[in-house]
Amino acid sequence: MEPKMYAYQCTRCGELHHPRHFVCRKCGNRDFAQVPLEGEAALVTHTRVYNLPEGYMKPFLIFGIARFSNGLCVSGQLEADHPESGMKLKATVGVVKEGVGRDYYGFIFKGAD
Amino acid sequence: MSVRQVGIVGVGHTRFGRFEGPFVEMLSQAAVEALDDAGIRTGEGHGVDQVFVATMGASMLNRQSGVASALVDTLNLRPAMAETVENGPASGASAVKLGYMAIASGMCDVVLVVGGEMMRTVSGWEATDFVATMLHPEAEYNYGLTLPTFAGMFTRLYMEKYGVEEKDLAIVSVKDHQNAMHNPVAHIQLVPDLYSITEDEDARIINPYVAEPLHVYDVCPVSDGAAAVVLCAMEAAGRFRKKPVRIAGVGQATDTHVVAERAVSTDLLAVRLAAQRAYRMAGLKPADIDVAELHDAFTILEIAESEEVGFFPRGEGHLAARRGDTRVGGKIPINTSGGLKAKGHPLGATGVSQIVELVRQLRGEAGGRQVEGAKAGLAVNFGGFGNNVVATILAREE
Repeated sequence: MEPKMYAYQCTRCGELHHPRHFVCRKCGNRDFAQVPLEGEAALVTHTRVYNLPEGYMKPFLIFGIARFSNGLCVSGQLEADHPESGMKLKATVGVVKEGVGRDYYGFIFKGAD
Repeated sequence: MSVRQVGIVGVGHTRFGRFEGPFVEMLSQAAVEALDDAGIRTGEGHGVDQVFVATMGASMLNRQSGVASALVDTLNLRPAMAETVENGPASGASAVKLGYMAIASGMCDVVLVVGGEMMRTVSGWEATDFVATMLHPEAEYNYGLTLPTFAGMFTRLYMEKYGVEEKDLAIVSVKDHQNAMHNPVAHIQLVPDLYSITEDEDARIINPYVAEPLHVYDVCPVSDGAAAVVLCAMEAAGRFRKKPVRIAGVGQATDTHVVAERAVSTDLLAVRLAAQRAYRMAGLKPADIDVAELHDAFTILEIAESEEVGFFPRGEGHLAARRGDTRVGGKIPINTSGGLKAKGHPLGATGVSQIVELVRQLRGEAGGRQVEGAKAGLAVNFGGFGNNVVATILAREE
C-alpha cells in the first residue's frame, strides 16, 4: 500500500496542523482528527543544496516549502528541473532518507503537468 | 523581592579554529583567562559560587557529558555549584542569562560562564548532520534538511520580497572578514576580494554555491573554540581588577519549531520579541545602541536581524550594508569581532563570545576594530532556525 501523509485537524476549531501537535496552536484543544494531506500545492521557496548531511550519496538535492490549497505549508524534497516560486506542484510520497534497517517516507514534490 | 544589578568583570577567549587537546582543557583556557582578567586568584578563596557551561554537542561530538562538573574540578573551584546548559546555538547566551538570574535573585555573588564547542573532531558531513538534529525530527530532519537549507530558502524569499542581491550578501561577508583581521582570536584571517567572489569569471569556482543562493563566503566555518565571562553582583564589583560592564537587559523568545509553520515566512519573530524585551528591561531603544554582535551564521541573517532589532526599516538592511552603515565608523557597526562568518561559530561558545566582544568594545579594549565612545552594545544569539533567540544588552558604567 502506498504510504500517505496526513494533516491533523483540531476537533474543536478545525485548525490544521502538520506535523502532529499535542495541543492545538489556535484554541488549546488536545484532540485531532487525521486527514489525508495530498494533491496540488504551490512552491513558496526552494534551494539546491550541495553539502548534504551524512547518509546522502548524491551531488545535490533540491528542497522546498510548499503551500497546499488548504493553506498548510510543509517542507519537502523537490523534483523539478526549473523550480520557480509560485509554480504548481503535485505532492507525492516517497523515500526521503534511507536509514539503517528502515526507510523514511515524506513529501517529494514534482512539477504539476 | 528586589533584583540585584549584575556586571561582567572578566572575559576570556581561545583562538577559534582547530583546538588540539581535550574538550575540557579548551574550556579551561578560556575560563582561566577570564578569572585572571577579573583578578580572581585560583585556589582557596576564589569566591566563585556557580559555574555554567554552555555546549550543544559535547555529548554527541566528544562523547563527554557532565562537562560543568569536570570543569569545576579541573579548575579547583569545588564546591561551587555547576550545571551544563544546552539551548542549541543559543546555549551561550542562555548560560549568561542563567548566570544573570542566579546573581539577580541573590542566590550567588560571583558566577563563571564558559561556552565551548569542539566540532572539528568530526567530518563536515557529520557536523552538518549534528547541527541539523535540532530541527523537527519527522517534518524536517528526516528529509535531509539542514540549517544551510533553511538559510538558502529564507534568502530566496528575502531576495524576492525586498530586492536583496547576492552581491549584498558578499558585502556583509567582506566587511566581517575585514573586522576579523583586527581580532586575534578570529578563525579566518583573510579578506576575500568583493569582485573576485561575485563578478570575476572564476567567481563560481572561488565561491561556489552551498545552498542556492548562498555561497561559501555566505556561510560560517566549522570551528572549535571557547569563551568565558565572570559575572558579579554590582555591589561586589569593587573587589575585582576590572571595572564592571553592566548587563542592562536580557530578552528571550521562541518561535515555531517547524519553520514552514510560520505565519510570515520572512519574519524572524523571536529575534524581534527578544530584542524588544531586552530594550524594555534596559530602558533603551535601538538608536541608543553603539555596537552590535548579530548571529550571522549566514550573511542573510545579519541583514534580517539588523531589521528585526530596529536598526533599519524592514527590507532595508541590505541597503544599509551597501552604504557602509554597519562598518566600524558607520552608523551602527555590526559584528566588529568578525561575526560568526569570519570569527567562527563553535556553537556553545558563540553567545558567550559575542558578549566578550561587547565587553571589550565597552571597555575600549578592541584595538583596530574599536568603536569610539561605545556606551551600549546589543548581542543576538540565534538558536535553531530562529526558534529560540536570546538578546543581551550591555552598558558601560560611567
